[in-house]
Amino acid sequence: MLTKRQNLLETIHGGKPDRFVKQYEAFGMIVGNAFSKHNPAPKPGEENIVNAWGVTRSWPKGMPGAFPVHKPDTIVIKDIEEWKKYVKVPQVIYDAKEWEPFIEQAEKIDRKDQYVTPAVFPGVFEQCHYLLEIQECLMAFYENPDEMHELIDCITQFELDLAAEIVKYLKPDALFHHDDWGSQISTFISPEMFREFIKPAYMKIYGYYKSHGVELIIHHSDSYAATLVPDMIDMGIDIWQGVMTTNNIPELIKEYGGKISFMGGIDSATVDFEGWTQEKVAQEVKRACAECGKLYFIPNASQGLPVSTFPGVYEALDAEIDKCSKEMF
Amino acid sequence: MSVLSDLSAAVEKGKRKVVPGLVQQALDEGIDPNMVLNEGMIDAMGRVGEAFRKGEIFVPEMLIAAKAMQAGVATLKPALAQGGGSSRGKVILGTVAGDLHDIGKNLVGMMIESAGFEVIDLGVDVADEVFLDTYEKNPDTKIICLSALLTTTMPAMRSTVEKINAASWRGNVKVMVGGAPITQAFCDEIGADCYTPDAASAAEAAKKLAG
Repeated sequence: MLTKRQNLLETIHGGKPDRFVKQYEAFGMIVGNAFSKHNPAPKPGEENIVNAWGVTRSWPKGMPGAFPVHKPDTIVIKDIEEWKKYVKVPQVIYDAKEWEPFIEQAEKIDRKDQYVTPAVFPGVFEQCHYLLEIQECLMAFYENPDEMHELIDCITQFELDLAAEIVKYLKPDALFHHDDWGSQISTFISPEMFREFIKPAYMKIYGYYKSHGVELIIHHSDSYAATLVPDMIDMGIDIWQGVMTTNNIPELIKEYGGKISFMGGIDSATVDFEGWTQEKVAQEVKRACAECGKLYFIPNASQGLPVSTFPGVYEALDAEIDKCSKEMF
Repeated sequence: MSVLSDLSAAVEKGKRKVVPGLVQQALDEGIDPNMVLNEGMIDAMGRVGEAFRKGEIFVPEMLIAAKAMQAGVATLKPALAQGGGSSRGKVILGTVAGDLHDIGKNLVGMMIESAGFEVIDLGVDVADEVFLDTYEKNPDTKIICLSALLTTTMPAMRSTVEKINAASWRGNVKVMVGGAPITQAFCDEIGADCYTPDAASAAEAAKKLAG
């Protein structure tokens, strides 16, 4: 039996996996770092917590995560033309002692079996709309392109500084990075605009990680983004996590398999809801595995961490993937 | 009528600095304000919505077009009021309790407003009672639109629709629902009147529902 890590490599390199990669099993995830310790984030049920960038966020009770709160008094950048006046880039360099708990986590991961995989979020695009409010942000791409380029350069430099610390202390061999680029039916911005503004940032960020020992980049965007796949490949993304069914994954595998792999194929909304059932989970897992096949595909709910919103769903998905592995391998 | 063509093109391209001037020029030329609204702007937004639905344009293009139209309507409003210009009716709009997502709801609001409706936007995380109270204060409302972006807030949408369905005035208003996890099947199950998958379709459906 292949290790989790070997099985993942066989899957994404078009080799001979001996089973489906079960969701996030190959990634020893490290969610947190010395910076995030100093970056206040709301816990479930907490409201109006201001983070290190000045972004206000709330986590309503019973919801799957935190959301930015954009009211006139809480929006960080009140005028994109004067963004430098409003944005205070947080400190990213911390004493080695602050990294100790995360180094310990990394040391506990068996690198023969799993990748040491720090998680980084929000992404560059997300940080832009957290700071600006999403509508203002989307219009600014059109109306203030020079300022948007400057703001993205600033966020990219922050990410590069953070990357330098992460590789120095954790020596990761994979990276899990969030940035949602679309809704379930469309990208937020056109591929042309994406290529002008967002892609160059990730060429630098993912390029840095890859030149510093990171073998795999896993990028999360639980959205439609099929039109961005050639750019994802250029950016160095090895696995697109969160890929939703609206992307026609079997077609993407046929066209791009070998250059990038697809992790998802099970829309969280179809399995992770109040009143979910094992039967529904089984149906979705079977459909995804049958449609997408054994190579360049990792069955997984689109959720951007190894968790589910409703208790038991993540484990139910694992169990059904095991059943599919027995039937199909 | 070339000023109307220019106005229509400027709205479609989202030229919000140019649009008010063209509206004023059309009024100065003696064009009926309703014609300026319908042929100069609403038709343009219809084309914008259609292009968005087909995936030819994206959210920023739709936003700047809607903002351009808003700038034009602001210039046109006094003339419309004088001439007794009428809207298609009122629409109450909001994201259901517990859900803080706003962009989908805002796009629906902009497209519905651009189709000629008066929109009462209740914002996000809106309690059942607020939807009901707002209708009762605005009994001439034709449509209530509910948005939910999370599976965890689908029960809140169900609850709001149940309460609307139990209201004595239910027969006078249509209920539209939308958002990422919402489907036609869920719409039917909870007893709403209409589901649409995107903002452009929502505006088209609203026009049909309002008659």
